[in-house]
Amino acid sequence: MADADALAKLELELRRGVVVLATLSQLRVPRYGYGLRQALADKGMPIEEGTLYPLLRRLEGQGLLRSEWKIEDGPPRRYYALTADGRKVLKRLIDSWQGMNDAMTRLLHEE
Amino acid sequence: MTTNELIDAYVTDVALRLPRRQRNDVACELRALLHEELAARVEAQGQEVDAATAMALLQSFGHPDEVAARYLPTWTVIEPTQGRSFLRWMIGGLLVIWIAGLVDAFEQFPGSSMIAITHWWGHVVLPSPWWPGVLVIGYALSAWSRRRRPSSTRWSPRSADPTSGQRVALAFGILGIIAGLSILAEPRVVLDVVWGGRAAPAAYEALTYTERFRATFAPAIFILLALYIPLLVATITSARRTRTLRALDIAHGLVTSIVILWAVIDGPVMMTPESDAVARAGMVLGAAVGIVALVLERWRRVTPAPATHGAGGLS
Repeated sequence: MADADALAKLELELRRGVVVLATLSQLRVPRYGYGLRQALADKGMPIEEGTLYPLLRRLEGQGLLRSEWKIEDGPPRRYYALTADGRKVLKRLIDSWQGMNDAMTRLLHEE
Repeated sequence: MTTNELIDAYVTDVALRLPRRQRNDVACELRALLHEELAARVEAQGQEVDAATAMALLQSFGHPDEVAARYLPTWTVIEPTQGRSFLRWMIGGLLVIWIAGLVDAFEQFPGSSMIAITHWWGHVVLPSPWWPGVLVIGYALSAWSRRRRPSSTRWSPRSADPTSGQRVALAFGILGIIAGLSILAEPRVVLDVVWGGRAAPAAYEALTYTERFRATFAPAIFILLALYIPLLVATITSARRTRTLRALDIAHGLVTSIVILWAVIDGPVMMTPESDAVARAGMVLGAAVGIVALVLERWRRVTPAPATHGAGGLS
């Protein structure tokens, strides 16, 4: 049996692959960083704040997200949402994910 | 420190590691997010906001170096795939520099080991990081070039026959060996060719073999080099470099290098000390290149075979 460190690394590798897809999936509607993290956690995909917030900036830099500052009741918040390119990429990623998920289901449940 | 001061200090540390145009915007967002995270955390724990909770939050967020790195696109100086190659060249190069420097230091100060070692340490070892520096620049340029032209990294097969396409080069090699043999037989022929026989007598003396070298090693080296011609001819005419040819080539190279080194150790080759030093240095260099080529060929050979050791069996 692999030790706890090795197991943690393997789990991290596994999660790393889906963090972008999970994030993009929740940005069909505009959300700000903390609200997005809450939405992901509520749906069973908690992502560390130190990972999620920089990721939003990187995805924006790649043209998949757009953002704007909004000042409502509380402090100013930067809201992110998918761009047209982001929507296309999300669709492609969902197709890939579903294909992999089907394959993994077959692999993991075969006798 | 208050929680506000802690968060501000942390945000500043992260922002200072980011490009100037990004700093203020990221700092503003990060500051607001950290305050919200902190508020949510203390609410979940039913506590008041305090410095210890803020510190725990910031620690879990990560070191400012790591956080700043996550905000930036990955910039690789040395590609991870090149890491082992870089390490190999760095260690190998440093060893060559240090060993050659040590030999040179002992030649310069033959009487005193302590002076030689002190000289070696100050003039060779301490300045030797120039070599890793050169390597870093080389690997960084290579990584940059690969990123700009990804097609250049596509694998393509080596020629199954390493001699194909090199036949012209091999033919020139034969011409080179014939020219080399002529000079080896009588080095003074160079003076006749270049100066039409009007070179100074000292030059003729400088290019004269010692009697011992002429009588012992010169004929042996001449024959060994001459034997390389039929080997090259066979390589050119055969469809590929056969196992026999490769074995003959390796044996020939090894014997030639050993005989040359033996001649160098045996004693003077040329009549004057200056020309002798140059000739022997050239012979050592030639033999070293030959041996390194043989070692590299051996090292780069892959013979598919199952490993005899490994983890426990499957059953």
